[in-house]
Amino acid sequence: MAAISLKAIEKSFGDTSVLEGINLDIAPGEFLTLVGPSGCGKSTLLRILAGLEAPSSGDVLIDGRKVNQVRPADRNLAMVFQSYALYPHLTVGQNMMTPLRLRDLSFAERLPFAGPLLARSKYKVLWAQVTETAKILQIDHLLDRKPGQLSGGQRQRAALGRAMVRKPAGFLMDEPLSNLDAALRIHMRSELAELHRSLATTFVYVTHDQAEALTMSDRMAVMMDGNILQLGTPDEIYNNPRDIRVAEFVGAPKINLLPGHLDSNGHARCGGVVLTRVAATSSDKITIGLRPEHLSLCDDTDPEALKGRVVHKENLGADIYLHISMKDGAHRLVVRAAPLDGVAVSIGQDIAFKRHHGAAMIFEAGGKRIGLDNNAGTAVAEVA
Amino acid sequence: MPRSKAPYWFVGPALFLMFVILLLPIGIASIMSFTNYSLGNSGAEFVGLENYEKIFTRSTYEKMFGATFRYVFVVVPLSVGLGLGAALLINSTKRFGDLYKTIYFLPVMAALIAMAIVWEFAFHPTIGIVNSTLERGCGTFLEVWGWYAHGCERGFPLWLTDRDYAIWTVAFIGVWQGFGFNMVLYLAGLTSVPRELYQAAEMDGAKSAWDRFRLVTWPMLGPTTVFVATISFIRSFQVFDTVEAFYPQGGGPSKSVYVMMFAIYEKAIQQNLMGIGAAITVVFLAFVMFLTLVQRWLVERRVHYS
Amino acid sequence: MSDTTLSSTSTVSLPAFRFSAAETLKHAVLIFGSLIVLLPFYVMVSYSFKSPAEIMQNIGGFFGAQEAFRDDYCIKLGNDEADCMVTPIIYNYTTAFEKAPLIRYLLNGVIVTASIFFIQVLVALPCAYALAKLRFWGREAVFGLVLFCLLIPVHAIALPLYIMLAKVGLTNTYAALIIPWTISVFGIFLMRQFFMTVPDDLIDAARMDGMNEFSIIWNVMLPTAIPALLAFAIFSVVAHWNDYFWPRIVITGDRSLFTPPLGLREFKGDADGDNFGPMMATATIIVAPLIVAFLIAQRRFIEGITLSGMK
Repeated sequence: MAAISLKAIEKSFGDTSVLEGINLDIAPGEFLTLVGPSGCGKSTLLRILAGLEAPSSGDVLIDGRKVNQVRPADRNLAMVFQSYALYPHLTVGQNMMTPLRLRDLSFAERLPFAGPLLARSKYKVLWAQVTETAKILQIDHLLDRKPGQLSGGQRQRAALGRAMVRKPAGFLMDEPLSNLDAALRIHMRSELAELHRSLATTFVYVTHDQAEALTMSDRMAVMMDGNILQLGTPDEIYNNPRDIRVAEFVGAPKINLLPGHLDSNGHARCGGVVLTRVAATSSDKITIGLRPEHLSLCDDTDPEALKGRVVHKENLGADIYLHISMKDGAHRLVVRAAPLDGVAVSIGQDIAFKRHHGAAMIFEAGGKRIGLDNNAGTAVAEVA
Repeated sequence: MPRSKAPYWFVGPALFLMFVILLLPIGIASIMSFTNYSLGNSGAEFVGLENYEKIFTRSTYEKMFGATFRYVFVVVPLSVGLGLGAALLINSTKRFGDLYKTIYFLPVMAALIAMAIVWEFAFHPTIGIVNSTLERGCGTFLEVWGWYAHGCERGFPLWLTDRDYAIWTVAFIGVWQGFGFNMVLYLAGLTSVPRELYQAAEMDGAKSAWDRFRLVTWPMLGPTTVFVATISFIRSFQVFDTVEAFYPQGGGPSKSVYVMMFAIYEKAIQQNLMGIGAAITVVFLAFVMFLTLVQRWLVERRVHYS
Repeated sequence: MSDTTLSSTSTVSLPAFRFSAAETLKHAVLIFGSLIVLLPFYVMVSYSFKSPAEIMQNIGGFFGAQEAFRDDYCIKLGNDEADCMVTPIIYNYTTAFEKAPLIRYLLNGVIVTASIFFIQVLVALPCAYALAKLRFWGREAVFGLVLFCLLIPVHAIALPLYIMLAKVGLTNTYAALIIPWTISVFGIFLMRQFFMTVPDDLIDAARMDGMNEFSIIWNVMLPTAIPALLAFAIFSVVAHWNDYFWPRIVITGDRSLFTPPLGLREFKGDADGDNFGPMMATATIIVAPLIVAFLIAQRRFIEGITLSGMK
């Protein structure tokens, strides 16, 4: 278990700046995910942490010790690569033994042919560690196979095994699931999370898939353009994004965004929609964000009903998402409907829906979140 | 697809030429190797295995095999090793890599016969640049080396005309000419090694360059090495230009550079002993084909990872 | 190369662990290698500039003093001594062209290499197309034969080929220089591998447009194969321009058929002390075309020469 700190990490390749002063503290035993679109610098950050890349400036600390000048192997971190990076000429067992051999055996003992004879007992001990780890990952029957003979999922486990076998202080994972098919990917999410709990070790996990970040992590850091936009628990990130880019990136289907303004009382308005809660400022241009699940179907007689026409229907089984073109034609919204309500709806149909109170978020023109208060005193009755 | 004769028209000429130019000669050589045929004589006698017996018993041919194998077993390891070394060095330097690559590749492009003549000049005992450069080193620390001190005192070797040096000098030129080719193949092989493997090795604790080489580079270059070695074998078995340029008659001092291709040329073309020439041809072909088959087998069996 | 500039480039993966001392050592080794590799080129070009005296005494640096010297051969012809003073570089290069029909040799080289390449493509392209894209009885057998023939180096069967050509009276002709190389199994193999990557749809579309198989080859497949053909051209031209063994066997005596390597060899055969300069000039002229072309289009050349790496 290791605490990892990144202090003012900057990295640029030539003229292009990839990381712009990253500060991040990772608690011992935490599962922290770095998530963001491709090119946001998350992989570079992970590699700086691993020591595979040197930062242009800034410090990396592991358990309080500055490790900028420490070789990757000596940082006691293990890494799982996107392509797994298994040595294709070695069997799974030999692959898993490699980090142990390099750490625990002398140069002479590593010599081919002679080495195993010289240090038979040591090899036995190492091999026992390999089989033990393989049993945990249920790949002990594959130890004699070469990576080329394995399926994607088995290779993934072999790569995990190679990382686990030396019991590192932390695991670094660079999009480890992205080469798996969809079903296996979802299965591996829970398996990795379980593994994290049983190993009780620090995990730093890089992904571009917000669903992976939400489902697995203790905390997640949303990165964009070389900066961490927001760091928090998945719950905080999803329900309380502090930046419009975070709100947009996290959540599928995407959050609905409506252009609007803040009136002189601090009420956000968009067309006929007016929010009860007020902001401390007023502004001409704001954006109102409403997640699909903050909207639901209702009767057209409902006083708060909004009206529109269904243009597209996504049936996911457990949920049905309706894409609705508003009456004025200017906006399109995605509404989540319960299966029972949703199946009855057909494309082209006019429909009424309403939003849940207190769920909308508003963002200023620059993208920052604007706080809202339930200021009952000056509340204005909401119209429609 | 409609049944048409078009494919046969397309394949026909190639097939015909393959038979006439590649397969038929092998047949002719095999048959002729059992005769004492010579061009201009009508008819030939069947002599059984006499030609082969000569090849494997007479001292001339013993020298031929000796020279050929000495040449091959110097040129192949050195040109493969230097090719790999140059590729690794060039790959790991940050600058001028392309320049070195260009320079090392120049000998591959140049007509070997022309360069052989130039090398003959360079190795000339009195006016050659090699010995005159070596003489300049006399009186310096280099004389600590016994061989060098001896050269300073008694004169440096005659290189191409000294029985003890001739084959090694010719082999040196072979290495000079061939390693750039191997280097380029290795460079191509190196670019196909996934970078993540090196990073994985770094994470796994392969701290020294040697460890990374053993763990990643060398195994990943396995297929390239097999190919490069085979090509080098076949090319060096076929050495002729330099030998003929230096020793148009007889194959060098005491036949010490009497390589197989030159033997075929001398016996069959110069001396019109077609039977024995054909027998050497058959032995030669057997070597080359055996090597290529070994290569294909290795590629499929051992170094094919997936 | 200064160490500061080397260590400041931090785009490589592990800059923190690199030492510029190691970098310097690498360059030292590479430069030493370059000197040895370049040595004969230096000797060749330098001697082609120098006077016989400078060559014999090993003086005059790279370019020689370029002092006029007396051409004894010219004197022998009964000319005045004043007319026979020549500058070494001019003497060497003019002698190279005068003493032997060098232009003729070069022309022969061009004719032979061009014909070989042209016929190789003419034979190999349709065959490769058929092997890659047409289904016909015996296709696998033909391809198997191609793979087998890849094992045979043509130089190794030179003797029986020579006898065959002698029997039909073709030695000492252009045909003798060209015929053995008309079939390039490697070319067939290479083109076949390339055509395998061309989508079938393209060919089907051409058929729908009413093209027959012949016009598909020359109007559809040939243009798509240009990059591979270019590489193969370089491979073929370099091999046959530089080839010495085969011309040596089939061309005996008839100077008008000599290829450049044979011409140079002939020159060497009767070279005496005065002719070292002109001989080096000849060597330079023969080596120069490919070297210059290589320096201009390095990438293509390296690609072409290493094509055999695809086998």
